[in-house]
Amino acid sequence: MFVYEKKLQYPVKVANTNPRLAMTILTQYGGPDGELGASLRYLSQRYTMPYDELKGLLTDIGTEELGHLEMIGTLVYQLTRNMSVEDVKKAGIDSYFVDHTAGIYPQSAGGVPWSAGGMQSSGDTIADLTEDMAAEQKARKTYDNILRLSDDPDVNNVIRFLREREIVHFQRFGEALRLVTERQDKRNIYAVNPGFDR
Amino acid sequence: MDEKLIRKDPSFFGRAGAGDKTPGAEPGWKTGDLPGSAPLAAGYVPEQRSARPVYEAADALTRGTLFPGLDLPFMNVVNKDSPYAGTHLGELMAISFVTHELTLYLDTHTQDREAFELLRNMLALKKEAHERYARLYGPVSADDMPGGTAFSWTRSPWPWETTGKEPDANVRI
Repeated sequence: MFVYEKKLQYPVKVANTNPRLAMTILTQYGGPDGELGASLRYLSQRYTMPYDELKGLLTDIGTEELGHLEMIGTLVYQLTRNMSVEDVKKAGIDSYFVDHTAGIYPQSAGGVPWSAGGMQSSGDTIADLTEDMAAEQKARKTYDNILRLSDDPDVNNVIRFLREREIVHFQRFGEALRLVTERQDKRNIYAVNPGFDR
Repeated sequence: MDEKLIRKDPSFFGRAGAGDKTPGAEPGWKTGDLPGSAPLAAGYVPEQRSARPVYEAADALTRGTLFPGLDLPFMNVVNKDSPYAGTHLGELMAISFVTHELTLYLDTHTQDREAFELLRNMLALKKEAHERYARLYGPVSADDMPGGTAFSWTRSPWPWETTGKEPDANVRI
């Protein structure tokens, strides 16, 4: 089960209102390469993972991603909590505002609601771990692009932290993939799917 | 990467030697081991050889990793400080972060006794920091209330409300 801790993994303390920037960061809340998808991907894939190390790693990273989802929600909230209707109009986020006011809704920067179509739980151990490595790279790319767009130091501090986590996770998934391939038949590592053929 | 480039700048990969100024660095702290021969058609990421060197806890939180070898910042711009550095909350966050980072490392290095020893030490520190924070500012988890005089779990600020103006979260140690 999961138990809540009443603190963030890394502090988020944003002074300025910036609804336009908030709408780009929101993509890491509910976009295709965002933290919600990351968490559900890992926490769903873990059931059919065949080795203890993999069950542990997917549980631990999937849980950390929930903490990142909370940090992103906090960033978006703090960037919009003091906005006026004038700010909404000036930032051009009328279409978000009319549906959600200042609520935090999981969608991509382009306005597409969060979808499980952006992730996979394939039941194939090597396919899943290879997807996880790609997912970490795609999230890193989004954080790179947010850093290109944002000039708010309070925001960038948090984004740099989250971006670095993607690199660490990539390393761990890469090591996990090696733990899998090293346990397969060296003459044909694809002879079976260790997550199904026991 | 081009072999020539590696030779031109041996310090890029952290090889201990003339170009490597990292204190406490072991050979190859920025590199890892690849098999001499491996099956075709699979992805291979070098294995991190050791949980050393490590950053100090506060620096690890600021940089987003405990491990200098994995610290690869965009445009080489890094955080100077995390907003609660030097506060009780900052201390708790930093130590919690280190225990989490070591756990991920151990998930794929279950036999690394030195890293496990480091994790055990950090878990003891985390327990202290957690209890100290809960005593001074209120529950971090709902289990922190046995010594309390009132139901304080719902009391603000919640984590997303924190602005740094709240004196309770931001008292310097």
